[in-house]
Amino acid sequence: MYLEPVRKKRPPGDDPSIGMRLGLLAVAAVLLFSVLGFRLWFLQILSGDRFVELANNNRLRTVSIEAPRGVIYDRNGKVLVKNRAGLSVGILPMDVQDEAEVVSRLARVLQIPEEDIAKKLAKGKLDPYVVTTIKEDVPENPVVAYLEEHSLEFPGVRVEKSYLRDYPRRSFATHLLGYVGEISDDDLQKEQFRALKAGTHVGKDGVEATYDSSLRGKDGSRTVEVDAMGRPKRVRDQVDPLPGNNLVLTIDSDIQDAAERAVREGVERARNSGFKNAAAGAVVALDPRNGEILALTSYPDYDLSKWVGGMKTEDYAALTAPEAHNPLFNRAIKGLYPAASTFKPFVAATALKTDLISWDTKFFDDGTFRIGRQVWKDWKPGGHGEVNLVQALGESCDVYFYNLGKQFYDQKGAVLQAGLREFGFGRATGIDLPGEEKGRVPDKDWKKAVGKTDVDKLWKTGDEVNLSIGQGDLLVTPLQLAVAFAAIANGGDVLVPRVGMQITDASGNVIKRFEPEKRGHVQLNPEDLDAVRRGLRYVTAEPGGTAYAAFKGFPVPVAGKTGTAEKRPDDDYAWFMGYAPADNPEIVVVALVEQGGHGSSVAAPVVRRVLESYFHIAVKGPSVISVTE
Amino acid sequence: MNVLQKAGQRPAAGFSLARYLRNLDWVLLLAALALTGFGMAMVYSATHADPDLPVATYYVRSQAFGLALGFGAMVVISLIPFTSLARWRHYFYGFSLVLLAATLVVGSERMGARRWLVLPFFALQSSELAKVTVLLAFAGFLAEGVELRDRFRFVVSAVLYVALPAGLVFVEPDLGTALVFLVMMAAMLLVWGIRWTHAAALAMAAFVAVAVVLRVLPDLGISLLQPYQIQRLLVFIDPERDTSGAAYQLAQSKIAVGSGMFTGKGYMQGTQTHLNFLPAHHTDFIFSVVGEELGFVGAMVLLGLFMIVVWRALRIAGLSRNLYGTLIAAAVGSIIIFQVFVNVGMTIGIMPVTGIPLPFVSFGSSSLVVFFMAVGLLQSVHVHSRTALYGGRLKGEPYGQIDT
Repeated sequence: MYLEPVRKKRPPGDDPSIGMRLGLLAVAAVLLFSVLGFRLWFLQILSGDRFVELANNNRLRTVSIEAPRGVIYDRNGKVLVKNRAGLSVGILPMDVQDEAEVVSRLARVLQIPEEDIAKKLAKGKLDPYVVTTIKEDVPENPVVAYLEEHSLEFPGVRVEKSYLRDYPRRSFATHLLGYVGEISDDDLQKEQFRALKAGTHVGKDGVEATYDSSLRGKDGSRTVEVDAMGRPKRVRDQVDPLPGNNLVLTIDSDIQDAAERAVREGVERARNSGFKNAAAGAVVALDPRNGEILALTSYPDYDLSKWVGGMKTEDYAALTAPEAHNPLFNRAIKGLYPAASTFKPFVAATALKTDLISWDTKFFDDGTFRIGRQVWKDWKPGGHGEVNLVQALGESCDVYFYNLGKQFYDQKGAVLQAGLREFGFGRATGIDLPGEEKGRVPDKDWKKAVGKTDVDKLWKTGDEVNLSIGQGDLLVTPLQLAVAFAAIANGGDVLVPRVGMQITDASGNVIKRFEPEKRGHVQLNPEDLDAVRRGLRYVTAEPGGTAYAAFKGFPVPVAGKTGTAEKRPDDDYAWFMGYAPADNPEIVVVALVEQGGHGSSVAAPVVRRVLESYFHIAVKGPSVISVTE
Repeated sequence: MNVLQKAGQRPAAGFSLARYLRNLDWVLLLAALALTGFGMAMVYSATHADPDLPVATYYVRSQAFGLALGFGAMVVISLIPFTSLARWRHYFYGFSLVLLAATLVVGSERMGARRWLVLPFFALQSSELAKVTVLLAFAGFLAEGVELRDRFRFVVSAVLYVALPAGLVFVEPDLGTALVFLVMMAAMLLVWGIRWTHAAALAMAAFVAVAVVLRVLPDLGISLLQPYQIQRLLVFIDPERDTSGAAYQLAQSKIAVGSGMFTGKGYMQGTQTHLNFLPAHHTDFIFSVVGEELGFVGAMVLLGLFMIVVWRALRIAGLSRNLYGTLIAAAVGSIIIFQVFVNVGMTIGIMPVTGIPLPFVSFGSSSLVVFFMAVGLLQSVHVHSRTALYGGRLKGEPYGQIDT
């Protein structure tokens, strides 16, 4: 047979062990292939699940789709805050290869310090599959265009669309609206923000903060398959974002606008009349029937859009510089001041209520008031003569109230303080804005707690006398005065002031309406109330009234009270609070000009301007007002 | 005296096509073709979606061209009685040295290495071709010196004989292919019948050499290995060390293979492959594509085909009644074992990353042609070991006669 081997035996030169040696090769082959087989078994069968997960982490990126924040309207539907589309630059940590390189390049392109980027990236690396925003509101040209053209030099860098807050009127209602920023690390720990991710925008101040959960909406997400360069290939899954709800405020833009212009004008007027330190002020206007805030402003203010995309360091430095007079601070709800003469109606009401006096109780004012060797002077040299309560309020007679203070001191228990607290002093009003101060009504216990020496710890007659004209250790906020004054205007109801009116969804349906809320009532019998009101009306209506000049010719009857607060070493603080119409009050306005001098000449015109706006009264040139008080 | 003469039979004179076809190792041929087809399918999967390609089948066409060329070379080589090749061993050796030296001088440089000679039709990776020519030369060298087994000097000269071309490959630099030469040499010495004492001495020398290269010389400021080669080795030992892409490649490859699980993600469905997480997925890391898309099953089928090829090669080595043929077949078998182990081992993290292609499967015409030439050699040994195709006595056959 042909196919048989030519010879069975190997030639003599061959090593006899050649078969064994080939066998060794075969054994080596079997061993090596077995090693491969077992290793494959281990990788693919035993740990396959883990590698599937790793492969998915490689290719699937879940990006969050930002939900647009709700729009904020005034009570008439005018837009106060809306959104605009912007571009933000972020980094997906897992796609970054040479970190230092990318950070330094990005710092150059975005013109922000390398440390800032490195810090954000370090935090972002805790969650390497999520984009960490580095800078918001990046201009399309030339920055974003450059990044996209040179995307290969920026591995891991992502440009995303985002919603940015847009303020059509820039510095309008600054403190009231508040601003939005990335959630802080501390906030992330809080219960209310538990579901949020780092980088989420939340309200930081004003109604943006109070109504954050309504305004915020719910971010959606999109799962995208990407290639090794991080380029998206196709969308695997998408959850649409749920836009935030809209907020309608009780604010009336026109009144707010008038208030802002009026306080600015008031500051200027004070400076022009010699009070060079005047630089700040506040106005609160509310509806005494329901507590709705119609205007609330603090001066100076600033452009809210500075916060968009993160405030620049130099901007922040400028805003916090001493010469800027703290524009970030909301004086209307956080500023603490002696109330001075604006306090007299509340002291009077308490005296009437506790039957210390009746409405026609008279005191004689010769210009001074003495207790032992201590002497208090009336603001009017020589005094007002014999005055009853109505005149005492109308002409702001200090001696009348010194007498009341003395009498209150002789009462058992802190009668005056209790009455003042009923009006809401010494505690927060409960307004729906964050950071409100609660002020201070000084009393025996307080004195004991804070006094340093034994004498200091005593509550003395002088303390009560000072309190009766709103001085001494008393501190109030403009908002507290407005709420208390509204109680006199509405017959005793202490209301919770509100700026939120209702929440509507994206299609305008009302989801929630905020109802007026009463938190207390000052029980005054009609005669007593009427006496106080007549005194307040006297202020603007009678030629001897302290704000007669300021409201001369004003077609709507106004009741009010001036105040000139002493706060050494500052110049005097000018106050005015008023309500109108005097017989059926619809609006209460409180104005403060810090270091503005006299309430009658500086603060009262501010209130008049606001009332002009409310009652649609044409402004007839600047009012010229003589100093009375 | 010979068996046939005893039986009164003589081989028919002249070439017989029918006899040739009957005596081919069809199992080997089909396994090699199956591997190539498997490889082309995987190359297509890995590359068809590349947007830079003029046509989706660009790589597959190129591979088909390599297959055609290799198949032709295989047929021609299998027709040549392998014994006559032994006579040309000096030419093969000289050719190898000239080819490798020329590559170093005029070769085209890609990614810091001179490995290719650019020819009119394709770029030749010369070390691939040199594998076959050095193999033939060295087989001749050993067969010729079959009587000198007991002389250590001869063994040393044999080592130097291969070390010279291997060294030329090493300085290209191409550490992986240089190692293939050394492994081939070791396997051939083993089968040739190296004395165990000599083998032990060589092993000791190799160990010392490696220690010197990796430990002593770097301390003296002499670096024989390229920084990236050291990096790859170090990363293999300690993956945390990675600063370059070596650990990334390894990690991505393991993810690809591991995530294939039992049956794979499906042909052309591999996410690691198609989203480009897997580097060099149609060349050195083609096995990872197999593992990812076809799973454990596909990987086993592929390894099974390699087992068949290796089995046939070693079987042919045993069948040959001629030392020269035995050495050739054993060398081809050992090259395939080594390359498969190193390449697949690299993709699954048990061997360092070296640029050794997977025989028949990885994209690359040079490798494909050369492995088909190697199959041609196996076929030649197979055919001519079983029968004398040309009948009668083969003239000038000096080593272990087929027929006398």
